[in-house]
Amino acid sequence: MSRRVLLHVGCPKTGTSYLQDVLFRNQSVLREHDILYPADRFDAHFLAALDLMTLPWGGIETEAVGAWDRLAEQVREWPGTSIVSHEIFARATPTQVERALASLGDAEVHLVLSARDLVRQIPAEWQENVKHRSHITYGRFLRTIRDPERDSRIGSWFWAVQEVPDILERWGASLPPEHVHVVTLPPSGADRGELWRRFSRTFGLDDLPLDLTAERENPSLGVPETALLRTVNERVTSIIAPPDYRPLVRETLAHQTLSRRVASTRLGLAPDDHAWARELSQGWIDVLAERGYDVVGSLDDLLGPDPGPFADPDSVPAEDLLPPALDAISALLVEAARLRAVEERLHEELREAREERDHARLTPTYRVKRKVVTTLEDSPAGRGTLDAYRRLRHRTR
Amino acid sequence: MTAREPSPEPGSDPGRAHGWVAHLRSGGTTPWRAWSGVAAPTTRALPGAQQLELLRRINATAGVPVPTALADRVLAAPAAGRGKADLPLLGLPAPSYGPRPVDPARISPHELLRVASVVLADDLVDLGPDPVPTSWARPWRRRFQLVGDPLVTVAAREHLRARGRPEGGPRPFVVAVGAPLDDLLAHTWTQRCFEHGSRPWADWLRFWRERDQLPARVDLVDSVRRRGGRRPLVRVVTDLTRLPGQVGVRHLPDVRTPGADQAELARRIAAVVGLRVPSAARPALMRTLQRRIPDTGVAPVGVPAAEREWVAASAARLSRQVSRAGYPVVGDLADLTPRPARVAAAGPDDQQVLDLAIGMVVDPTWRTERQVER
Repeated sequence: MSRRVLLHVGCPKTGTSYLQDVLFRNQSVLREHDILYPADRFDAHFLAALDLMTLPWGGIETEAVGAWDRLAEQVREWPGTSIVSHEIFARATPTQVERALASLGDAEVHLVLSARDLVRQIPAEWQENVKHRSHITYGRFLRTIRDPERDSRIGSWFWAVQEVPDILERWGASLPPEHVHVVTLPPSGADRGELWRRFSRTFGLDDLPLDLTAERENPSLGVPETALLRTVNERVTSIIAPPDYRPLVRETLAHQTLSRRVASTRLGLAPDDHAWARELSQGWIDVLAERGYDVVGSLDDLLGPDPGPFADPDSVPAEDLLPPALDAISALLVEAARLRAVEERLHEELREAREERDHARLTPTYRVKRKVVTTLEDSPAGRGTLDAYRRLRHRTR
Repeated sequence: MTAREPSPEPGSDPGRAHGWVAHLRSGGTTPWRAWSGVAAPTTRALPGAQQLELLRRINATAGVPVPTALADRVLAAPAAGRGKADLPLLGLPAPSYGPRPVDPARISPHELLRVASVVLADDLVDLGPDPVPTSWARPWRRRFQLVGDPLVTVAAREHLRARGRPEGGPRPFVVAVGAPLDDLLAHTWTQRCFEHGSRPWADWLRFWRERDQLPARVDLVDSVRRRGGRRPLVRVVTDLTRLPGQVGVRHLPDVRTPGADQAELARRIAAVVGLRVPSAARPALMRTLQRRIPDTGVAPVGVPAAEREWVAASAARLSRQVSRAGYPVVGDLADLTPRPARVAAAGPDDQQVLDLAIGMVVDPTWRTERQVER
């Protein structure tokens, strides 16, 4: 069997979490069908990407040492098809791309890029920034990404992982166009299964008995919820360290609480930004069509929806922030109560251990020994004597 | 923003860029704007403008051609972190997409440092940790546990272990080393940079000020409690000349406080080392760097004026807590009070940090010479 590698390099916010979750949970089924998804943990390919690109990431990178080389080695040793998937690979520089492709050996490499229209990607990326501690306003975010200089950290990152023609140029320059697969996301309102069908066809997963239950997704937030989270970030980003922010704010508040308010207004683009995004998208569509890539779906999907009503998250009235704020307080109190219970249980276990220790020390013999030891420890000569005694008894500490 | 149209300038072919790469690899120092030679490509991907400009400045500092292997390492080194990716050179046919081309001479020291820190981190990993001298534990040694000022305690711990006086043992004295609180904070951040790394000095200070808390190693009372210290077996030392007596020796070596540039460079290197070696191996490597990093004479970081009020209030609170706990004080508790503003760098200067980094890339004696105790 010939070796093939399907290298999925982005983009963020294109259903990648769901795809990676399905691949991770179905590794054994995939192996039975000669497909390797090498991951000992859900975020294994994320760690490999951090390692490949030398990207510190709030401390998580310390778990990424050697992750890319290990992943590449597994891929090289697999005789059939291998899948590598993480959206931040989109940021790789040409030098890193060269290294990555070289380390996959002589396999036939197929590049996969899932792409969504900018009209939906821009609000989604702002939300993602907010869920990663940023308190940049939506207006400033838009000005930042529309600045052609791309000088800021946010602007340079946004385009590095969202500018589809550039990503494909960086990753696909050395590959024949038919080995470059652009999976477009179906337009809003399309059948929910359509994106999976496109992924399934691209990755050769059709007809495999996979468990497709959604266990891990990256849900979006409504306008007031995102505005609230951004305001919270203004207060807490400087005083809550990333290891605490992730479980408390991103998971408990954003993913488990605020994302449940599905009736809230969804975020879009103001008319001027909408027109700009569509013009840019049209340019991308023309370039991609010229390059002759294999398109799964339709390039027209990248144009985005028509303009709709726009709710500005930078001017949400206080009364609209109140309901999600109350939900947030409730959720944090419940979490605090849960953590108190954990703390209480640990104290109880510690108390029991101390009681057992003290009980063991109640004997007169122990008391006499203790007295002798404490007396000896008060002088250098006594300490030397004790040390010699412990060496004799093989009890040196 | 719209896709950019290709706009070739006269003489702006990729051969000119490859010519500049070859020029820099052979030790050249001509800026990109002044370069006109051409050469055949040796690699498919051109290095980024950051890597090329860093190599040019390394060549300029070295004065002689640096080894080709080193030049290639600089050109292949990524810019660490989530900032700008590799930037194209201004004057070449402009790509339609991707980052804007730049004039390498105008790249900020901050961007060049992102590359230099990767080169130095790889050097450090290749060097490996210095062996830590140890000696057989003297049975008559005084039992102690050191807490407090990390610059002092880390150096003292190593010195004492080498002389057969390791920490620990039954019923140890908990010796809490204090200092004026502004120094204690600066020392703690500095030492963090030489262990696991840290956020930038100003951000780190702001983190604690806004929480109105003290970091674990600065909060002497909490440090003592965490070590299980009981009043008769605790000493709070604010007079460093009397510290040796508390750990059972006649003297301890002087401790050098790294400059702001050294700490900042270490902070950046630590972030990359975290991606190169397991977490547990990082402090030993960073401590090796701390011993070997060249002196530059730059002042250590200091507390900026905006934070001094909070530091003074925290120092007063810490003094009260020590008094209430009744711990014996060796020295004077008033010595915890921050001193009037002195010569100190409010924050590291990127240009100074870059100069230090380039100096370390050019001159490998920090790696090749025997370590000196610091």
